Amino acid sequence: MAFRDVNARRHIGLQQLSSLALAGRTLLGPMKSCKFIVDESTNQSTLICSAVRLIESLDLTSAAGQLLNETIQAQNKEFKTGMSTLLFLIGAWSNAVLECLQQNVPVSAIVSVMSEGLNSCCERVQCLQISTHDVNKELCSSSVRPNAFKSKTCQIGHDDLLNPQIFLHFQKDISAPEEVIPINSCPQQEDDCNFNKCLVSPLTGFGSIASLVKPAGDKSTSVISGSGVTASSCNRQKLTHSRYFSTLGKSHFSSQQGNFQGYLSGQCECYGLGHLAMTLSHGNQTSMKLLQSIVAYQQERAECSGSSRFNIAEIVTCCLLGLPESYSCVSPGFVTLVSPEQATVIKYFEDKPLRILLMDGDLTEQYRHLGFNRPCNVRTVLEHPSLQEVRAGDLWLSSMLDILISFKVNLVLVKGNVCENLMERCIANSILVIGSVTRDVLCAFGEVTSAQPVTYLTQLNASCVGSGAQVELWEACDGRAMDLGELVPVGIKVRGVPLLTAVLTTTVASKMQLIEDQFWTLVYRLHHALNDEKVFLGGGAVELLCLSHIQMLAEQPLQPANKNTVKEFHNPWLAASATEYKSVVLQALASGWKQYLSVVMCNTAKAASELEACTLVDHHLKKAAESGSPSAYILKGFRRGDLLRGGSGPFADHGEGLKVYDNVTAKTEAWRRALDSVLLVLQTDAEIITGPKRNQLLNSHVSSEFMFL
Amino acid sequence: MSCFTFKIIILGCKELKCTTLNFRSAIHLEVPSKNEICFCWPELKSLKMSRLEAKKPPLFVSEPLTKDTVSQSLSLLSGILKSCYGPAGRLKQLHNGVGGYVCTTSQSSAILSRLSVSHPVLSVLTASVQNHISRFSDCGLFTAILCCSLVENFKSLNVASCTVIKISKHLLSLCMDYLKSEACGCRVSVDFSSLEALLCLVRSVLTSKPACMLNKPEVDHLTTLILKAFMFTVPCHVETNAVLGKCIIVPVKGRRVVDSTVLPGLLIETPDTQLAKPLAVKRTCSNMIKIALFCVSMSGDLSNPEEGTITVPYGISLEMSELNQLLNVGKQLVNDEVGLVVCQKVIHPSLKQYLKENHVITVDRAGLSLMEPLSRMTGSKPIASIHSLSPSCYGSLKDMRIEKFASKHFVHLIPNDTVVCSLILCNRNETAWDELKRACETAEHVLQLTIKEPLALLGGGCTETHLASYIRHKSCSLSTSSFKDIDCSRTQYQLVADGFCRSLESVACSLNHDDGEILTDMVYGHCWFVPSGFPSVSNWSDLVSKCGCGINGNTENLNWRLLQGQFGSPIIQGCPKDPSVKVADFLTLDCFAAKCSGLQVALETANLILDLSYIIEDQN
Repeated sequence: MAFRDVNARRHIGLQQLSSLALAGRTLLGPMKSCKFIVDESTNQSTLICSAVRLIESLDLTSAAGQLLNETIQAQNKEFKTGMSTLLFLIGAWSNAVLECLQQNVPVSAIVSVMSEGLNSCCERVQCLQISTHDVNKELCSSSVRPNAFKSKTCQIGHDDLLNPQIFLHFQKDISAPEEVIPINSCPQQEDDCNFNKCLVSPLTGFGSIASLVKPAGDKSTSVISGSGVTASSCNRQKLTHSRYFSTLGKSHFSSQQGNFQGYLSGQCECYGLGHLAMTLSHGNQTSMKLLQSIVAYQQERAECSGSSRFNIAEIVTCCLLGLPESYSCVSPGFVTLVSPEQATVIKYFEDKPLRILLMDGDLTEQYRHLGFNRPCNVRTVLEHPSLQEVRAGDLWLSSMLDILISFKVNLVLVKGNVCENLMERCIANSILVIGSVTRDVLCAFGEVTSAQPVTYLTQLNASCVGSGAQVELWEACDGRAMDLGELVPVGIKVRGVPLLTAVLTTTVASKMQLIEDQFWTLVYRLHHALNDEKVFLGGGAVELLCLSHIQMLAEQPLQPANKNTVKEFHNPWLAASATEYKSVVLQALASGWKQYLSVVMCNTAKAASELEACTLVDHHLKKAAESGSPSAYILKGFRRGDLLRGGSGPFADHGEGLKVYDNVTAKTEAWRRALDSVLLVLQTDAEIITGPKRNQLLNSHVSSEFMFL
Repeated sequence: MSCFTFKIIILGCKELKCTTLNFRSAIHLEVPSKNEICFCWPELKSLKMSRLEAKKPPLFVSEPLTKDTVSQSLSLLSGILKSCYGPAGRLKQLHNGVGGYVCTTSQSSAILSRLSVSHPVLSVLTASVQNHISRFSDCGLFTAILCCSLVENFKSLNVASCTVIKISKHLLSLCMDYLKSEACGCRVSVDFSSLEALLCLVRSVLTSKPACMLNKPEVDHLTTLILKAFMFTVPCHVETNAVLGKCIIVPVKGRRVVDSTVLPGLLIETPDTQLAKPLAVKRTCSNMIKIALFCVSMSGDLSNPEEGTITVPYGISLEMSELNQLLNVGKQLVNDEVGLVVCQKVIHPSLKQYLKENHVITVDRAGLSLMEPLSRMTGSKPIASIHSLSPSCYGSLKDMRIEKFASKHFVHLIPNDTVVCSLILCNRNETAWDELKRACETAEHVLQLTIKEPLALLGGGCTETHLASYIRHKSCSLSTSSFKDIDCSRTQYQLVADGFCRSLESVACSLNHDDGEILTDMVYGHCWFVPSGFPSVSNWSDLVSKCGCGINGNTENLNWRLLQGQFGSPIIQGCPKDPSVKVADFLTLDCFAAKCSGLQVALETANLILDLSYIIEDQN
């Protein structure tokens, strides 16, 4: 066993956390700048725009890095939002704690004051919660002009391009959507081509300051500065650099607004959850419009059937590469991609109701259910050589096909993989087999068609097969033919099926993942808001109140919280030294939120530098303190829409009509998780390396750093 | 010749006996066989291979304790363990150095199980501490630190080891007699008619593991839950030999700690597909649910992994015949009006389908750990074969329903008279959850030990300092005849007793991890903590507030002195008093049984290590 002491005055673990988190600064706030992660060994790069993807792409072999990864993944699994906040605060608090250590503050004092400080702040900010019910009411009562927001959106966007017909006209002039970038590399076109911005708009998310991240400690990767991208349709996530890479100028990237034509754009924003979705979207218009459509559909359904108003399990995404982003829309039913051969089957179906079969495993000869152990010592002997012509595989194929035909099955949805030979035989017999269908989709079809999922075709009986399904080729809203190359989108519907598919389109392969991630983030934000039944005031209100609350805590006499409780569990080993260092440690806690606010303000270009942003925050804090009631001051500022000067980020232009809200649990949990990881690393004083690595270390040049047992 | 010598013989697994005999005859030492400690290295597995190789001579090391490497390793191990101790203890990141899971912990059970020590002397130490942990769960660090400290202190004395051993045994008996006597000033009796002392016990366990990352409300919430879970496991109707039930910990990772909860009965996780709709369970005439419990795999594979080949003619499917057998079992289950089938392993989808069509609910992949409590709770006998099915194996349930926690679906089985409960334990991430699970299991175990022996010891270092004060007092007032019995001089006795007391006090001192002073008072002999940054000349009574366990406040002048650095100055110690107030609320309390055992294990292991004279290592 090797043993390394990490608890010098300069804590190695905290330094690692802080340097890893530094990479995520530009991912904070509503205006994110994307990053390229380049792997030099394979010459592939990945475009990322969220903390989760960043962490996934980094090489995290250190213990602190592993803990960071675990923390981010846990937040992602639970909430799908708040990961950037989490990553940022881990970095900010690590730095702040390192400074406390420099000032000789004992570890136990840092731990107890910081965790109690955060607790106290979380209680304090409860006054900035607003119930989701009130959010919806707010708009209905306040917006005498319900279309105020809408008309402004249109102004910001390019009115003429919101018409798909015009758009199509321009599209025709360009031979292929993939060639968008060469056009943009000619600056002289920019002035006279209105559509330029729209065509480039899929690239908007790359931001003007896209930078590259070097995974810490990974020598095989490098940092390349510059911005821009070329799409490679064969590889969705990885990019290869091209000669266009460095020729693109910043000016080609327009603002995020105006690149979307909603499928159901005619609906009223104040209808039901639509407004809540908008306030949670934080400027992501594309996803917001999709979500509003989904909400409208589900609400309509809920009124008929009395089911829950927003059900996340009934939402599916289908990514279509090669269509402009304006074609993104919500389609009732299940939309998925199939091969052109499979698509030919659909012609034979016409409009007749189909018999549907659901399979919850693979559809291959070798597949056995989980937990089935293949016997290794069974030998089959052939007694009649005449049978030799019939190969065993063919026997299986034909018997499976016989089963499908005898039960008159037209459509098979399979959770896992499908045997290719069987697929061909099925196509020849006009049976459409679709693989890799998620469990939620199977369940949804099972419910409305009364089909029972089976594991093997041999299990099949009449009661397992459902009926009433319809399959058609999926068409974009303008009926544009889908020529996406290898795969064809098809839509599967059954009367009454609650499934809704968000069809996400883009012409840029590398952006597909971003768009999908952003969509799901918003979906989950709404989901959590409804679960919490309340939201936080956004735009920095909560963080500002935390700062002002800490200011007050630091000035207060010692241990105010404990005075009203008569008896308290006594722990001299933790509490004794805490009081003395209280104000230093609380300042460290506050610095996390202050940096958060200033970086968000910088990222959204509301402040030119972090220093300017900090001054602004201090100014507001002072005014809040002077006003006597900080929460009232912040609430007033929020209502006026000029909190931290002007509204928040991209909504600044929309004036008073629009507010920004945040998730309550996701946000406070991100804070708590961030502080927990920092404190966990802070309290760690040694790494113990077990297993075979020990001998390597013993013989390596770093062996002097280690002690061996 | 009153001393006898211990041997450590490290051997390959299968050659254990003959090699031992060889050594015995070769060395010509008469070793009582019960004192041999044998370590079997798993890598030397193959009997055949080792016989073919030419044998290397065994490595023979004498006086192992005098070697530098041993004392260095011992002090490193002691340093690691000391730094982990108590609520402010430092954490260790245990990992393999090539990425993957990192265990952040300060618990002895986690550290010792992953630690591979290279020296046999350390192996003796870690093995006996781990044995203590397996029996008592709690006080592992206490035992290990005390043991290291005793070895270090006794080794530095200029007294023959056999004399040290005899004196320390006497000291141990003094301690144990005192701890078991009514007059003991560092123990409180636990009253099971009120919750206070029990809550204190649980709370002390939870707060002493900082890697759980709990704040105060979370500690309170979990303390109540653990106690509630424990109450469920106490049978309502006690007969002559009452057996405590079991609390199963159900993992829900990623959630807040306050989302944890406890439910009577058992929870089995299932995929949500089949059980999305409300359950309609077939019931017997007495409105109970008849349950069949299978511990054999029903997946339909060939269940005989024996050697040899089975030859099957083409066209005959073994799978089909297995499945037919399973379906026959299914038919019998339906005929016997079974409402619920639970299988430890996997059930074949076709059998599931058949049972479902006949309105029998199936739950598979329940796991081995649930079988014993399931069988106990339902009164059913686990069925180990699909060939013979006796109706007497069936058990019964009062009710079952579907519960949903986070994204997981569970089948909740509710028995008539429950001694089995499920603690749904949540924590934010994997590392913290694992640590919390170990802490909860320890707390549960501590409660079980306490119900057997309703006593608790004062925590926060107070028992250690109090015991040291008592021994110092007692060793001064020992009669000359007792020294004769032990066959030692008064000075020798004093020296060893001082070493023993310093070892105990060093455990209390290990609670302090930031700069600061540890004090003890001359009245109660309790342990006090003064934060750093004060000059040591100042009046202690201005700086202390409460003692480590929280029973004494700073109300009278208790005549404090520094615990460390009193070398040379003899301490005149009166018998420590019993604090008059014995209200046990908001105290730090330790498990009586675990700490008593820890004290014994530490001393006996230290004696064993001191007494090592040779290490014989088989190099084959």
